[in-house]
Amino acid sequence: MNAPTRTGVPFSFGRLLVVAQNTFLEAVRQKLFALLLLLAIGLGASAQLFREFNFGSSELKFIADFGFGAMIFFGSTLTIAATAQLFFSEIENRTALTILAKPIWRTEFIFGKFLGVFAVVGVFCALTTLLLAGLLFARESALMEAHPEAFEHGRIIHYADVFVAGGLQWLKFGVLAAFTLLVASYSNTNLFTVIMGFFVLVVCHLQYLARDAYAQVASVPLRLLVRLLGYVFPNFQVFNVADQVGMGAGLNHLMALRIGGYGLAYIAIIGVLAVYSFRNREI
Amino acid sequence: MTTPTTAAAIEIRGLIKDFTVGLRGVKLRAVDGLSLRIPEGQVFGLLGPNGSGKSTTIKIILGLLEPTLGECRVFGVPSHQVDSRLNVGYLPEAPYFYRYLSGTELVRFYARICGVPSERREARVREVIEWVGLAAAASRRVGTYSKGMLQRIGLAQALVHDPRLIILDEPTAGVDPVGSAEISELILRLKAQGKTVLITSHLLAQIEDICDHVAILDHGRLILEGRVAELVGQKNRQALIVDTLPPAELEALRAWLAERGHALSVEQPRARLDQLFLSKVSRPGNAGGKEGGA
Repeated sequence: MNAPTRTGVPFSFGRLLVVAQNTFLEAVRQKLFALLLLLAIGLGASAQLFREFNFGSSELKFIADFGFGAMIFFGSTLTIAATAQLFFSEIENRTALTILAKPIWRTEFIFGKFLGVFAVVGVFCALTTLLLAGLLFARESALMEAHPEAFEHGRIIHYADVFVAGGLQWLKFGVLAAFTLLVASYSNTNLFTVIMGFFVLVVCHLQYLARDAYAQVASVPLRLLVRLLGYVFPNFQVFNVADQVGMGAGLNHLMALRIGGYGLAYIAIIGVLAVYSFRNREI
Repeated sequence: MTTPTTAAAIEIRGLIKDFTVGLRGVKLRAVDGLSLRIPEGQVFGLLGPNGSGKSTTIKIILGLLEPTLGECRVFGVPSHQVDSRLNVGYLPEAPYFYRYLSGTELVRFYARICGVPSERREARVREVIEWVGLAAAASRRVGTYSKGMLQRIGLAQALVHDPRLIILDEPTAGVDPVGSAEISELILRLKAQGKTVLITSHLLAQIEDICDHVAILDHGRLILEGRVAELVGQKNRQALIVDTLPPAELEALRAWLAERGHALSVEQPRARLDQLFLSKVSRPGNAGGKEGGA
């Protein structure tokens, strides 16, 4: 055979962004995104209906907990469903064939898909956080007028912390999206991917319980196994800093940065694993 | 997009592809020792019944599947390397594209994936859309396109980066005879531009009309390969078409030929049904649009 003319195709962030942009566009045009966003906004806004539940700082904390609860519930559902759907729509509709038959690296394709989903979830988190901050501000202003004695040191809520907490939730959803993409990269069905995505969500949320329980176990191998699992599955509880919003001195921002780094590290590692798994997948 | 080389457009040697089926890991051989060389500038037909290994071979050429054994090179570059796809355009069988994009947006998307420089991108997108005859529908959403239009927009995305090799997997599947004839015309125009076209189709009459070479696969094995004219032509026989002769003159001709040791068989020439159909039905427009290179 003759010697080939080698031109080389370097990794391109531009191509990655093209895939991400298209993924984002596809997601926002799906009804699921609009439905979950509306539900989250509706649920967050309904916290106002529980006005008689309590007064003062407890009421504000209730609104914050309720709003973040809605964000976590609907955001997790959106992350898993959107990641699985947007990946498998490419495989099942065979649009992946036409894309991967072009001079594009599979790494660009996988990270493009991830970035698209991450952007969709980012929009979701930004909108729900904005709504929550608005609700808290409006209610706090009303309470300040009604009960000025409870606010003699000024506002209780640290609004920057609300956005930091929203940002950390976004990162957590990013880790969940990366895990779901890893499963999708070798799975054959959308359903299996969605089920495994929720399984991972539950495991990561309960991971700290298992650690605490097994820390009491005398068996060294078992303890090592639990520790290993603790590294494989991130602890999602560390991202839930909503409890500290409006409480005392507020969030420790250094701690928030460390949590952010923790999330980004997991996204990078799981993303690389997803690329490795997808590299040899037969389309 | 790259400088032409002297390497064949596609060169396959001893290709074997096994799939593992079921929990027991039973091996299913889809391609069995295939060797093939497709020089540049040819229209090459890859034929075979369903399950004969055509699509698997195409996917290996495109780097979408890894061969179990053997070697596949595209313009001299191993097909598993991303570089090998720089000069390849691909239209899959029954293509499905992003329904929410317009024709222009779709072709622009693929142009960006292929790295068509931004300063030339818009002109190139318009050019290929006009070339496949979809200029009037370019701003419509792909979800509203007919099957024939989907094939043509698929061809536009395959050509947007001006590849030297175009692979068409069943480009006329599900398309009516008019659309099918238009796609044939486009393929012949690609050939006139010196492009290499690898095509699979079950429409053997179409393949016969447009292909220079064909290879026939069966159960993953190459069973026949050669120039179309040589394979289907009957050596030592000729057809002379004359106006209808009176019976007496026909008998005289037969006797004259028999004296010289030649047999005469008389048949009524028939027009091809597809040609009759195309001459009777109205065609929506010129398939090729404006002249010029794709």
